[in-house]
Amino acid sequence: MSSKKPEQPKDPSATTVDRRGFLKGAATGAAALAVTPVARAQEPSAYRASFTAPSYQQMQRDAGLVELPAPDSRGVVRPGSDLMVQALKEMGIEFVASNNGSSFEGIQESIANYGSPPNHMPEFITALHEESSVDMANGYAKAEGRPMAVMLHGTLGIQHASMSIFQAYNTGTPMLLIVGRDVGFIQAHTADDMAAMCRSFTKWDAQPTTLSECIDTLHEAYRQAVTPPTGPAMVVIDIELQKEEAQDFDLPRFRPAVIEGVDTATAKDIAEKLLNASNPRLETGMFRTPKGIGAAVELAELIGASTSTTSTGGPMGFPQRHPLCGPGAESNYDYVLGLEADASDLSLKRPIVNSLTAQRDVMGIGFGSLREDYAPAPPGSEPTPLDRSPRQPQGTVLKVDAQASIPLIIGELSRLITPAKQREIEQRKARHARTNRETFLTALRVAVEEKKKGWDLSPVSTARIYAELWPLIMNEDWCLASPSNFSGAHHRELWEHNKPYSFLGTQGAGGMGYGPGACVGAALAARSRGRFVVNVQPDGDLNYSPGALWTAVHHELPMLTVMHNNRAWHQEYMFLQYLAGVRGRGTDRGHIGCVLRDPFIDYSKMAQAYGMDSEGPIENPALLTAALDRGVRSVKNGKPYLIDVVTQPR
Amino acid sequence: MKILVISVTGLLIGFTAPAATAQQEPVISDANAGAQLYYDHGCYACHGYSGYGRVDLNNTGSPWLVNEEIFRAFLRARADVAPVLPSTSMPNYPANALSDEGVNDIFAYIRSLPNNQPDSADIPALRTILESAEQREYKP
Repeated sequence: MSSKKPEQPKDPSATTVDRRGFLKGAATGAAALAVTPVARAQEPSAYRASFTAPSYQQMQRDAGLVELPAPDSRGVVRPGSDLMVQALKEMGIEFVASNNGSSFEGIQESIANYGSPPNHMPEFITALHEESSVDMANGYAKAEGRPMAVMLHGTLGIQHASMSIFQAYNTGTPMLLIVGRDVGFIQAHTADDMAAMCRSFTKWDAQPTTLSECIDTLHEAYRQAVTPPTGPAMVVIDIELQKEEAQDFDLPRFRPAVIEGVDTATAKDIAEKLLNASNPRLETGMFRTPKGIGAAVELAELIGASTSTTSTGGPMGFPQRHPLCGPGAESNYDYVLGLEADASDLSLKRPIVNSLTAQRDVMGIGFGSLREDYAPAPPGSEPTPLDRSPRQPQGTVLKVDAQASIPLIIGELSRLITPAKQREIEQRKARHARTNRETFLTALRVAVEEKKKGWDLSPVSTARIYAELWPLIMNEDWCLASPSNFSGAHHRELWEHNKPYSFLGTQGAGGMGYGPGACVGAALAARSRGRFVVNVQPDGDLNYSPGALWTAVHHELPMLTVMHNNRAWHQEYMFLQYLAGVRGRGTDRGHIGCVLRDPFIDYSKMAQAYGMDSEGPIENPALLTAALDRGVRSVKNGKPYLIDVVTQPR
Repeated sequence: MKILVISVTGLLIGFTAPAATAQQEPVISDANAGAQLYYDHGCYACHGYSGYGRVDLNNTGSPWLVNEEIFRAFLRARADVAPVLPSTSMPNYPANALSDEGVNDIFAYIRSLPNNQPDSADIPALRTILESAEQREYKP
């Protein structure tokens, strides 16, 4: 925790150079680093000269021995950080999540005190770990389709956050990462080029040297983050820029990103093909924002096309129970258009971060999932009975944003549709709606029969958790924010995913510790919108980042956590068993390093330690419904809740 | 090994028959001891504590669970250095890792697992899911 401290006058005896001069001389300093340690000791470089031993005042500050400033010592009346916060306001940043640090204390103080009301748009969200703070931004952006901000403290904050930045990059989640830099303070916390530590997995970064540049780069970082290929963007801001007097600096107006779609000729061509087809089909994937879904729904309804969805596998998908969602009355599609999805005729797919690898991976790390030729599986690519559509061969692909293209196609269609064609379309829509409804219900009946296996047995089946929960939340505006791949993903077959945020998908890179933070981020978005966030929380995942539970309590977030407590990392357990078998050795020792027993972990008590109401562990499935009901009521009354359920492995 | 190959080949042919029709022979080994081995060897990781999991064992009528001998042959023929029945998920259980007696006990335990698939009409949550889905209309 950093504490409020007085501005200290510079020690006149210190050998230092002006910060601006240092920034201009960075190249010289970097070159100086290449010489031997002996040579450097004999020939101080500009780099060395800029780093002085901590002053007496700084050491006092480190030790917490600070004195409050005299009431009349406030010399800065319009700090630069106030303008930075104003820029965040104008970009619509709702939240800044952070584990605090002295290198961005100027901005933190401005969030707390600037504006009317202060600490609002953005609101400071207290995270107990940087990894969780970035996961919060990830969950928020997946739910809302727009960024929130995170502040990181220098080299340490970046490194703590790097794992979750990597996950966000893999999913192309837009977010604004602000890194504080304080060259004159603790040397281990600063560096010449801090953003380089994660340049291979951020979309864009900058380190401004003036207040004017700082505002420009914040604006540009936002635009970069939301423009395909979307992803995290980072701005490193010196503490002195945050604290300097802005005087009469005129804050430039924020210009939103302009994202282009197909050209008019292509839009007209697509419209004609859709219109001339007797059974057009839309294959849809994950759109950029909710507006994209709205546009896709409008297009499907306008042309009467049956439509696939990825909404059971991730966010921003076509509504699952829309009457046109499903295989349709006939599967002899004669024109298939892909909207952020593969299709046999034409696909409109925005570029993804892999297209930046040559530019961004300057260190040549070569992350497997970020190779340019790697094709990540789209959300929901794992077919289930409810969203399966015939696998189409790949047709022509245009690397262009579908969301920005659809309005142009709709515009062309509106001009071309005749009354006779309209009647034909309406008849087709009615046929599709009947078939899709029956297809959905048939698949649901099959799923229900599958999910009842072991219903009354202990430990509790993972299917029963999802099945018991659904009737309690189906009439809420709910969001399943946790990944479900380790808990059976039973919601995909039992629940109805009709909202952009119904399900927020997987971790991004399969990294553990994502769930709690991501759910808190989704709950931040949910709090003011009357939503209800569900977190089916694997035990192994929670142990990486339990502090996010405290954030949920502290900020009064609508989040119900139901533990999938199988007391192990079961995926690894199965791998170990298999390998022991291959090697002809003891499969009875496969649990070593893979199980969480001796002792069992009490997650109810863990939640209580963070101030969260909780109950469990529940081993008797007959007790589950009542516990879930208590949890739902608690969350609806504004208090997050955790239920520890001892479960079957999967 | 030749005997094993012959018996496994026979099983493969038998496996083509509908699983539910496999004739289940009586159990003679110790299910309690088998429960401990089922736990110790981590069978539950894939098959669940109750025989319901990623791959169900419980009352599936699998031909591999007809009798102890067939079950043993199956466990010994998995992902070994020269597998008769290569697998990418189900481990091999060689005799030095799991004795014949142990295999028999696990077999007894699997066969003792209670069949628990109540009528979905008797499960309020599942009934509600079906009924509400039939009544619910799409709302944006």
